[in-house]
Amino acid sequence: MKRKPKILIVDDDVDLVQVMKGALESKLFEVIVAHNGKDGLQKAKSEKPDIVILDIMMPVMDGWAFAEQYNKDPALAKTPVLALTSFSDSLGQPFPFQVSEYMQKPLKPKDLIAKVEGHLKRLGL
Amino acid sequence: MSENVRVPEIKDEAASAHTKSMTVGESSASQYTPEERALILRVGVYVRMRWLVVLGIVAATLIASLVFDISFPTLPVYIISGVIFLYNLAFFRWTNSLKAEPTGVVLRKGETVANVQVLTDLVILTVLLHYAGGIENPFIFFYLAHTITAGIVLPQRRAYQLATVAVSMITLLVFLEYAGAVPHVNLEGFVLPDRYKELSRVLAVLIALATLVYGSTYVTTAVLGELRRRQRDMAALKDKLLEKRTEELEQISAEVVKLEDERRNFTRFLGVVTHDLRSPLVATQSVITYILEGYTGEITYGQKDLLERAVRRIDELLTLITDLLDIPRIETGQISREMREISLNEVIQKSLEGLDSVAQQKGLALKVEMPSSSPSVYGAGRRLQQVMTNLVSNAINYTNEGAVSVKVIENEKDVRVEISDTGIGIKPEDMPRLFTDFFRGSNVTAKGTGLGLSISKRIVEAHGGKIWVESPDPETHAGSRFTFTIPKKGAEMTKGK
Repeated sequence: MKRKPKILIVDDDVDLVQVMKGALESKLFEVIVAHNGKDGLQKAKSEKPDIVILDIMMPVMDGWAFAEQYNKDPALAKTPVLALTSFSDSLGQPFPFQVSEYMQKPLKPKDLIAKVEGHLKRLGL
Repeated sequence: MSENVRVPEIKDEAASAHTKSMTVGESSASQYTPEERALILRVGVYVRMRWLVVLGIVAATLIASLVFDISFPTLPVYIISGVIFLYNLAFFRWTNSLKAEPTGVVLRKGETVANVQVLTDLVILTVLLHYAGGIENPFIFFYLAHTITAGIVLPQRRAYQLATVAVSMITLLVFLEYAGAVPHVNLEGFVLPDRYKELSRVLAVLIALATLVYGSTYVTTAVLGELRRRQRDMAALKDKLLEKRTEELEQISAEVVKLEDERRNFTRFLGVVTHDLRSPLVATQSVITYILEGYTGEITYGQKDLLERAVRRIDELLTLITDLLDIPRIETGQISREMREISLNEVIQKSLEGLDSVAQQKGLALKVEMPSSSPSVYGAGRRLQQVMTNLVSNAINYTNEGAVSVKVIENEKDVRVEISDTGIGIKPEDMPRLFTDFFRGSNVTAKGTGLGLSISKRIVEAHGGKIWVESPDPETHAGSRFTFTIPKKGAEMTKGK
């Protein structure tokens, strides 16, 4: 039997997380949640998700710091990261880290699912 | 008078060695203070004059003996002329070596050179006078030449000392001859043989000479002292001004750094404000869409309609927040930092993605005409995309039938983009205010913030371009044509930097 794709959501907005989690679970994905970058980094290491959905503005450790640490770890760097943010732009500068895709909120749940499925397909899952 | 001159000191040994190795009179001269330059010049003139003096003595002796038949032993005079010639050769080299000295050392060395020269001249003149008739020789007044020189090149006190030396020397000579301690050389055929023994005449000549010597020293040192003081004041003033300028410049650059810092903080602040204002709206909208998309179970048509309205109102607010906070960011010059060389065709293609289907849904044709050369401009791609999206979606919104066309024309210095439609058009009285903040056309019903065009204008102008609107048909005012220009790569470079 094909294993369940595992998705890690790193976002401090509980309402948004609940919506994203609900939408993704409806597709029978396994969803893990972290509310800041530090927690997210730990869970990314221990749970080995297939995709990471990353918010940028977060307490404790923000998305920038998360991505920097994340890209340093060769075991993690292969896993695609979808960055989602409420910034209206990247403050005039490109983000100083590699993410697979960068999107601006709000994103409709069905659009989020389409994005995730697109990446999973590319991973062969 | 105190002659202590405060001059910049050469601290670097290598620098002074370097200056010394330079050929005489080269660029080192430009570093000297005006006072130093004047001293070198004057000592040089003194040396040049001495060549003439040698010639003059020989000529005067020849004329005296040959033309006027004045008889006296001329050999010592010629020997003395030779001596003067030789020591002047030495002084010539010594004086020239001054020009290779570093600034600060020149004054001290130059004064030594002048002192030695004046003293040597006084001695040789006294000896010369002795062999050429002593007090009877009218050239006795040549002492003046040396004391005036001393007054010009040397400090006041030194000039008076040398004047005293001159007066003492001639007095000594005259009285030694008067007393018969040294033999008197008689200028036969020129003066009476015993006149040097007439005390009243001797005293009169000496007093006249001494008066002239001291008098001229007083005049020259007074004038030259004042001149030197002014030169020094000028140099000091120049230094002070330069110091003040440097200080001002440093202050200004510190202020620029501070302003740049404040601007960066402000931009960052605006970014965070936008984010924090948007975040709750984004969450709310996601929750509503979640319900709308049926994840929480079936909803009725009535509920769906209301929730869709809520989503639209949130969309409006999200756009307004982004637009409002965009304005100060554009105005603080953020765009110039995003600029790079970009293909305008690519920007336009990207902005039309998605709008294509919107036009189709309304049954409108969206025609696009772009040059195959794909001109590149120096611009902020995301911002130009924003302008295009705004203008094209406006055109689609306000056109019910017909077509919306986008035309790109490459000119020599800029690229021109025209967006025309066959829509409701713009009333002539609305035209002048169309690009102002929050202005909404009087014949417009669709929702909007009234900021789209004013932001587009700001973006285009930040690129150094222009934007304007025309009625393609001035009679009926049907349809509209928006045009904007963006300077090509390089045209804006100098302004942007």
